Amino acid sequence: MRVFHLAYVIALGAGLGLTSAHFAVAGRPLLGMVEIGPWKAWPRSGGRDIDPYMRAWLARGVHLPLGAGEGLEMIAERDDQGWLLDGRCRYLLSGVTPTTRGWTLSVTDADGRAFRLPLDRSGFTDAEVLRDEDGSLRIAAASWPQAGNWLPLPTSGRFQLRLRLYDTPIATQAGETRPESLPRIQRIECP
Amino acid sequence: MSAAGRDSADGAVARPRDVGARVAAGIRRLLLATAAGLVLAGIVHIVTILLIPILALGDANHAYRALGTGGRAELIASAGEGRSLPLPRETDPATVTAVCSYDLANGPMRVVARTGTLPLGLTLHRSGGGVIYAITDRAAIRGVVEFVVMTEEQRDERLANDEEGESRELRVVSDTDQGLIVARVLMRQPSDKADAEALAGGVACGMAD
Repeated sequence: MRVFHLAYVIALGAGLGLTSAHFAVAGRPLLGMVEIGPWKAWPRSGGRDIDPYMRAWLARGVHLPLGAGEGLEMIAERDDQGWLLDGRCRYLLSGVTPTTRGWTLSVTDADGRAFRLPLDRSGFTDAEVLRDEDGSLRIAAASWPQAGNWLPLPTSGRFQLRLRLYDTPIATQAGETRPESLPRIQRIECP
Repeated sequence: MSAAGRDSADGAVARPRDVGARVAAGIRRLLLATAAGLVLAGIVHIVTILLIPILALGDANHAYRALGTGGRAELIASAGEGRSLPLPRETDPATVTAVCSYDLANGPMRVVARTGTLPLGLTLHRSGGGVIYAITDRAAIRGVVEFVVMTEEQRDERLANDEEGESRELRVVSDTDQGLIVARVLMRQPSDKADAEALAGGVACGMAD
């Protein structure tokens, strides 16, 4: 009976402990995540005060995260209304970007890889994008051609938008950034 | 006869009570074992999370350990073509990355980067995970970003040798002997690729003395 209890304790401890550890770092950990509107950021991933979960997740692949003083990466999986981003829909990205030395906006799959699309454009940099007269941003994202700044999407399936801000003061105070200082993601139409 | 009948009746009453107590004790033991199992699971969880970075063999530090040992940072993309190096995950396609690995067992390492017109960032990634230092070309003095990477003991030694305080070097302390110095240059336009590669690949990283 005692052997049975001991085996039960070890099996429960090892099984639950290892399984929970695996799932905790299978994707980007929820700990340390900052949400600004539809954008998510992990500002501590590039600093000395990185938490153990982020450190473990980064060690599971070949990652070279941006340093805290170097820049900040933001990921959006949903639009402003909370719907998952879908390649069949058309989106409008508008608004402003925080003060940076340079930024890039790209379309990726869930693992951060660019899609292989017929048109060789997976994103824009701040120097490439055409702006409105008032300096604001307007990018149309769809799988079919759009006028102006067109960001091609995959024809179906989910995708992510990644906004990388280089040399930005908000890297150290991401938690206090307001959603209005980042581009909005509006779903215009969806079949 | 009547006494025997009373005895058997007492036995019949005592047995269910006995069984009930035994079941209660069993449940109590099971609950206790479950609690012990949950505590053990918590310990296993924490130890596993802390051990993953230490035991990981597929992280960036292992993948790029051979890069930049010749005193100059090497571009990951061009090195990858010949040596089948993995490309970093979740990297920005609009950046060019060069890596210099360091091992402070032989002494401190001096990193010198010349700046250009494109944004350049230098970061120190310690082995076992974590960015311990980041600097951009905005901190350049006369077009050069320069710092010396060292361990705490090496810093104490250098401070002791520099009693007059004449040295103006920027000292960066690494708590591990090994790690990576990563130079990242942002390409504003696709045509900036050659400039960005020259800037990132031009970072010098040799022995400090």
